[in-house]
Amino acid sequence: MATFEAGSLRQEFGGRTVLSLDALGVREGARLAVVGPNGAGKSTLLRLLAFVDVPAAGTITLEGRRIDTAAARKAARRRVTLVDQRPYLFRGTVLGNVAYGLRSRGVNATEAGERAAAALARLKLRELAGRDARALSEGEIQRVAVARALAVEPVALLLDEPVSGADRAAHHALFEALAAEQARRPLTIVFASHLLEDAYRWADDLLALHQGRASPVTPENLFRVDLPGGSSMQMVTVGPLALQVVTDRQGPATLAIPPEEIVVSTEALHSSARNVLKGRVVRVAEHGAAMRVTIDAGIELVALITRRSFQEMGLTVGGAAFASFKSVAVRVF
Amino acid sequence: MNAPGEVLGIAVLSLKIALVATVIACLLGIPLGFYLGWTRFRGRRVLLALLNTALALPTVVIGLLVYLLLARRGPLGALGLLYTWQAIVVAEVVLALPIATALSAAAIQAVDPRVRRTALTLGAGALRTAWTVAREARFALLAGVVVAFGRVLSEVGAALMVGGNVRHETRTLTTAITLATSQGEFGLAVALGLILLALALTVSVLIQLLQGHGDI
Repeated sequence: MATFEAGSLRQEFGGRTVLSLDALGVREGARLAVVGPNGAGKSTLLRLLAFVDVPAAGTITLEGRRIDTAAARKAARRRVTLVDQRPYLFRGTVLGNVAYGLRSRGVNATEAGERAAAALARLKLRELAGRDARALSEGEIQRVAVARALAVEPVALLLDEPVSGADRAAHHALFEALAAEQARRPLTIVFASHLLEDAYRWADDLLALHQGRASPVTPENLFRVDLPGGSSMQMVTVGPLALQVVTDRQGPATLAIPPEEIVVSTEALHSSARNVLKGRVVRVAEHGAAMRVTIDAGIELVALITRRSFQEMGLTVGGAAFASFKSVAVRVF
Repeated sequence: MNAPGEVLGIAVLSLKIALVATVIACLLGIPLGFYLGWTRFRGRRVLLALLNTALALPTVVIGLLVYLLLARRGPLGALGLLYTWQAIVVAEVVLALPIATALSAAAIQAVDPRVRRTALTLGAGALRTAWTVAREARFALLAGVVVAFGRVLSEVGAALMVGGNVRHETRTLTTAITLATSQGEFGLAVALGLILLALALTVSVLIQLLQGHGDI
């Protein structure tokens, strides 16, 4: 069963539409990453899924039940928890904070304390239990907030930029703990991130948002440009490069080069691709059966290739590579 | 008025009046201030503006209003409260209520908006969420209580008008200081003033200790 299903979902602030999704389905046990630049609507979506805000239009169901009344939202908030981008810890001890949700559900102090301590232990934070919540580092606050959210054993955990500001080791520890939690019991995770690498590394599904709408392309290989116009085949300046694109538009626009449309090679290709860029491999990340290869060719381009191609070409970080794509593959927004 | 016993009686009465008036004013004012700081409704800003005006209400005006209210021919004259310590309490409550309300509203408004959202997302109901917000604001709320207490303890105009400065009955530290000064007993006036200061200081230190304990 789907944990969340949303239809014709729309949210407005001050008369301006900030989120508009035709449909959204998040299956039970999923790890969905919501990616997009600042202002894309990621936090807005999470607050709707957390039933903290009420949508301007549309419906959301939780485990098949439509949540459309204040009473239903209140009940749903006991099954879903949201960890803010900058989590707030209440005055008092770390343990008191982690026990908060349980106490709110009428669990007695002793049992709440025990379950809170267990949640802290699962996130390897046991030693923080007695500490003053106001005396923690940013990374610790983030992890304590996750422990606090998990202590109530929600069906879904929503994380808004769970790894912003914290160090890489902390990122890793957090996602490892979340994976362990999912192995322990059914748990759906939706996390918003502007770090695509984390999204690809930890998520099994991805929703890219752009200006409040589901974007057909992931927010990588996106470039703000000024289209010169004049003809449908245009030469556009992107950073230090000139790219050929096919469009009739003129003026400011966003170019998107889908990662799966980029051909990676170790030698310059003689093909129909109008754009052939020489650069170096700067990052490589696994993405299921495929590999995500980031090539710095003056601008950073992410290409999605098969693991086999990657091995056959013998690509290495720091090694030279060519990125080629057709001018018609470049999307213009 | 020179007997130490009498001075002690005056100090105790002053403290009693100030405590009772502060408790009543806070019991009414803190929930009211919470409501004003917490909810958004039409006319809220007007109410807050009126409240801030009430903060500047001269104590003699309050004294006059309560006097007219409690006077034998007044609406509450039948209660026979005029020139009793309870009458002073009524006047001091009127004085302290806007302080307790306005400072509580400000304290609640100053609470980080994430507190409410965090409580909600952790499944807290409306009451628990409100309680959590109040808990986060407790030091600011406590500061409001201290200000109200200090104001009530040091008030003289209304206490004179509705209490009458009756020896052994409604004579408070402030009214006694007024009397001693008018009679040229400056030494006594200064001594009474020092007792008043000591009382205010004690309460303030107690609150500070409480705050310090809470921050550990």
